[in-house]
Amino acid sequence: MTARQDEYGFLRANALSLAFGGLFLATLVGQALSGVAEVNSQQVVDGLEPLTLLEYVTSSSFGVDVMENWQSEYLQFFLYIFATVWLVQRGSSESKELGTEGTESDEEQEVGRHADADSPSWARAGGLRTALFSRSLGLLMGALFLLTWAASSIAGWAAFNGEQLAERQDAVSWLGYLGEADFWNRSFQNWQSEMLAVGSMAIFSVYLRQRGSPESKPVGAGHHETGRTG
Amino acid sequence: MRGVRILFFAYLFVVLLGIAYVTVLGVAGR
Repeated sequence: MTARQDEYGFLRANALSLAFGGLFLATLVGQALSGVAEVNSQQVVDGLEPLTLLEYVTSSSFGVDVMENWQSEYLQFFLYIFATVWLVQRGSSESKELGTEGTESDEEQEVGRHADADSPSWARAGGLRTALFSRSLGLLMGALFLLTWAASSIAGWAAFNGEQLAERQDAVSWLGYLGEADFWNRSFQNWQSEMLAVGSMAIFSVYLRQRGSPESKPVGAGHHETGRTG
Repeated sequence: MRGVRILFFAYLFVVLLGIAYVTVLGVAGR
C-alpha cells in the first residue's frame, strides 16, 4: 500500500462497493414501489382490496421476483469465474492470454513455498486449506447461486399456489413446483440475459475501449492483445 | 483494511439475510 493510498478515507477507498451497495438499496425500493403499484392495478380490476406496501414486501410474489434475479447474477459470476480459468477469447480484456489456460503453476499463483510475506496464510498453508482458498471466490458464487435459486423456488412455489387457490385450482407440492413451467420459465428468462451479457462483454472488449476502466484494454492497445487491462 | 473487511461481511450478511427472508416468506406460504 503506497503512502497516497493511506491518505484515502473510508468513503473514497471503498467507493465502488459503497456506490453499488447504495444503488442496490435504491433500486430495491424502486422495485417494491413499482411492484405494489402493478399488483394493485390488477387488484382493482379483480375487484379486490389494494395491498399496502408492507403487505406487498412481505409477500412471496415480491420475494420470488427479487430472488429469481439474484440467482441468475450469482450463476453468471460462478460460471464466468470458472469458465475463464479454462476458456480464452483472443483479444479480450476479460480473458487470460492464449496458452495460459488452466489453474497455472504454484509459482505463478504464489502458493505454498512460493507465497510471499503479503500472502494470505491459507495460500501458504498447503493441503486442503490452500485447495479450498484457491477456489473460494468461485465456490462462494456457486454456493450463493444454489441458495438463491433454492429460495426463489420456495417463494415461487408459495406465490404459485396463491394464484392456484385464487383460481380455485389445486395447490402443488414444492417438488411438484420444481416440475412446473412457471419455475423453469422464471429461471431461463433470467439465465438467458446473463449469458448474453457475459458473451457480449467478452467479445465487445476486443475491439472497443473505455479509457481508464479496468474492464477495458488501454485505448491504444492492439485489437489482438489479450488479457491486458487499464 | 478493517473497513474493507466490514464491507465484505456486510455484503455477505445482506445476501444471506435476503435469502433467509425470502425463504421464510415462502415456507410461511404468504
